[in-house]
Amino acid sequence: MTATPATGVVDSAASAAAEAPLIRRPKKKAGPLEWIAVHLVFLVVCGFFLVPFLWLLSAAFDEKASAYIQWPVVPTIMNFVRLFTEHDFGRVLLNSLFVAIATMILVVIAVALAGYSLSRLDLRRKDWITYAVLLLQTMPISATMVPIYGLARQLGLRNSYLGLILIHAAIELPFLIWLMKGFFDSIPRHLEEAAWLDGRSKFRALVEIVLPLARPGLGIAAGLAFLAAWSEVLMVVILIDQQDLKTVPLAFYEAMRTQGGYTEVQYGVIAAMGVLYLLPVMVVFFGARRLMVRGLMNSTRGL
Amino acid sequence: MTAGRRTSFRRNRLYLAGLSPAAFLLALFFVGPALWALGSSFTNRALVGIDAANPRFVGLDNYARLFSDPDFARVILNSVIFVIGSAIIGQFVLGLALALLLDYAERRGFLATNLVYAAVLLAWVNPTIIAGFLWVAMFDFYNGSLNVGLSHIGLGPVDWFGSGPMLAVIIANIWRGTAFTMLIFLGALRTIPSDIYEAARVDGANAFRRFWDHTLPLLRPIAALTLLSVTMATFGTFILIQALTNGGPALQTEVIALYAYHQAFQAHAVGYGSTIAVVMLALNLGFAIVFLRWSRARA
Amino acid sequence: MAGVEYDDVWKQFAAQADDKAAVRGLSLDIDDRELLVLLGPSGCGKTTALRMLAGLEEPDRGDIRIGGKSVVGLEPKDRDVALVFQSYALYPHLSAQENIRYPLKVRGLSRAEQDRKVERVADMLGIGHLLPRRPAQLSGGEQQRVALARAIVREPRVFLMDEPLSNLDAKLRVHTRTELKTLQRELGTTMVFVTHDQAEAMSLANRIAVLNAGELQQVGTPDAVYDHPANVFVAEFIGSPPMNLLKATRDADEVVVGGGWRLAAPTGSRSQGQATGDGQLIVGLRPEGIEIAAGGHPAEVIAVEPFGSEVIIDLRVGDEALKVRAAPDVRPEAGSTVGLRAHPRAVRLFDASTGLAIH
Repeated sequence: MTATPATGVVDSAASAAAEAPLIRRPKKKAGPLEWIAVHLVFLVVCGFFLVPFLWLLSAAFDEKASAYIQWPVVPTIMNFVRLFTEHDFGRVLLNSLFVAIATMILVVIAVALAGYSLSRLDLRRKDWITYAVLLLQTMPISATMVPIYGLARQLGLRNSYLGLILIHAAIELPFLIWLMKGFFDSIPRHLEEAAWLDGRSKFRALVEIVLPLARPGLGIAAGLAFLAAWSEVLMVVILIDQQDLKTVPLAFYEAMRTQGGYTEVQYGVIAAMGVLYLLPVMVVFFGARRLMVRGLMNSTRGL
Repeated sequence: MTAGRRTSFRRNRLYLAGLSPAAFLLALFFVGPALWALGSSFTNRALVGIDAANPRFVGLDNYARLFSDPDFARVILNSVIFVIGSAIIGQFVLGLALALLLDYAERRGFLATNLVYAAVLLAWVNPTIIAGFLWVAMFDFYNGSLNVGLSHIGLGPVDWFGSGPMLAVIIANIWRGTAFTMLIFLGALRTIPSDIYEAARVDGANAFRRFWDHTLPLLRPIAALTLLSVTMATFGTFILIQALTNGGPALQTEVIALYAYHQAFQAHAVGYGSTIAVVMLALNLGFAIVFLRWSRARA
Repeated sequence: MAGVEYDDVWKQFAAQADDKAAVRGLSLDIDDRELLVLLGPSGCGKTTALRMLAGLEEPDRGDIRIGGKSVVGLEPKDRDVALVFQSYALYPHLSAQENIRYPLKVRGLSRAEQDRKVERVADMLGIGHLLPRRPAQLSGGEQQRVALARAIVREPRVFLMDEPLSNLDAKLRVHTRTELKTLQRELGTTMVFVTHDQAEAMSLANRIAVLNAGELQQVGTPDAVYDHPANVFVAEFIGSPPMNLLKATRDADEVVVGGGWRLAAPTGSRSQGQATGDGQLIVGLRPEGIEIAAGGHPAEVIAVEPFGSEVIIDLRVGDEALKVRAAPDVRPEAGSTVGLRAHPRAVRLFDASTGLAIH
């Protein structure tokens, strides 16, 4: 997945505005002609963006799913069942969960420490470090995948979750460090300073006083880290080829590749896999949409 | 009071320690690979065979080969076309249009605005491999939703992957990435105080004038940054294109990231693949520096 | 130039309950060339009333007329009014000159004509040197003048001002106040000015219209509103310090305030003799209507506030507090007792249950 520069440098005001509730008090009533025109456009736009998902749903529940979006010919949940019985999807799902959660934990710890440290750092060259972090964030992983493969082979990190988790975490770091730094910047220093004067060590002050205040930021970071690790394909493809270590994106990848010629694709089963894969994303993202949008606005994860 | 380097270091001891886990990971997986790629690009390292065990230093041979490689020229051209088509024409324009539409609809109290907003976001937020899968199905020649839909209105099926692979890939990426520019422009639109529009109304400007005289000029500063931003994001597209066409047919949609991958893993020429990776990283670095400079200037 | 009429105007916003409409039954006549101030606390409906006149909101009921003709339903641009916003609403991406020029550009005037008018207005307000700058490069006061210029250059029938001075610092505010008053007189254009600052209203207005909770309380010249407030709200709102309001009961042709202080009731058929309602009254006395005099009704001095040109003394009578304005050399000790005497013509009576003035 590609990382982009943090436009949040410029757009913190804009992102704050974008996360505000979408519906505000109407200023003027719309006439009937306007109503029709707007909803027509809405229909086209929604159509374009939603049809693929509607197909996914229809195919997942259809025994005789085809590439075409249709009401399920033979409505069934067998696709889902077959996933678990014939394709050992349960294990794959658990693998993915494990990796994503482990990454999330590692990331949150590393990012909380790094973000706080960067925020409170008092060096003349501090800007250089921030600059460097931003620059790192722009590196596309499709470029680094080749050397990472080579490196992983040399370090023996292939086919190990340790390697995978570490790499996943590393990918998330630049953007999330920058995000957390912003959060910590907004927490006034005098709170920790009061704690230091009271005799607490810097570390304890951080944990007991600052971190609770940074919870929303940490929540965003955790959510984004989880989502990114859950969705990450490239690194998994590069690093894992052992079947029992497979995670969902890899299963997907293989399912699509082995069909060749695209006409033999078992759309139903793969669609079912897609629905299950998509579920956590929907939950995390739409559950905390405002927070996520603010976070995502400052960077993009997309290929 | 003199603040020497040593006291400054001592004061920040703990903070520097706090940075170290992250720094370690970043060094290992960002800086390390970049350097590794650079080093590898000067060798003929391969995945298998003697060159795997004992790669030889070949100096700038790889680079020379790369820049005289007609395939690479094709790849660059493809990448440029892809970025222009998807990022500049597609995502940027569509994102702006959607932002204007949603902002307008929201001001007028259309509740369906939320649905459209969610739909665009969903296309962006879902894992890329799913996006790839969805569009493989959409573009399917015999049964894909697009062709079936077209046949319903009397137009013949289109061999998307055969005769129009670049178009197909661009469409899929526009679907995927528009939310990004839309969000940025929505945010920018919301920072325009509404009493400017009221003042314009009182001054006599109709809706079109208000848009042309005020909305567009006020969006201009952020448009430049956004354009650069979305270009950078699209530049490294890999999975989506691989899932749809894998660079084919016959290199028609081979973009730079795919080329690096294919050279390294299919042609087994890791050294050569690294060369391409280095070129990518250098280009990206160039963009990034320009971007950071522009965004600082704005702030 | 034109007169303005509000005719039983009602306005309710969707989120509001029925009895909390923003503007309720507003009927008001504004004369041509008059400077009328809409005065009231936040949320009293004055800004809504102004915006309805501008055309940015439409009344739910009632009519609004400019120059005798109804303007309800007309777009702002067709009403020939100019509005100066509280935030100035200057176009941030245009220079001051382009800002001022904008309404003329929209009207389609020739470039030469635009230049001429802009120059004239810039001279009038003394902002010629500011023209090439962007709003962000101007101070608050300068921005305000540019906003003013943008309104003036259109030569509208009515000027509308929505608290244009509230973002200025105190000194500038007072200075600009006088300038505005002179300007309006020179231009001779009808002006409707909204503010929550009663001092501003008093100094600027030809007439003041006091509003509270969407309802018009009183319309009158500053003197009329000051000397003869129509109800308790107006009495308290106008004047600084506000009018002292004390509970009282009637006793023949005298009224008795807390602590047994007897005042002669003001002459007039209703004030003397007949009581209204349940007989409970409120007596209003302006701080300058009371004097410290030996032999007057005893009151305890709480505090003395010197203001240079005068002294405000806080006192307690019975269980009520009041303030008295006195000459700068009157400095009783805090805690001491002094005598109070009220000017007979300073006494105002209000019905305690309705709050209305009794004449």
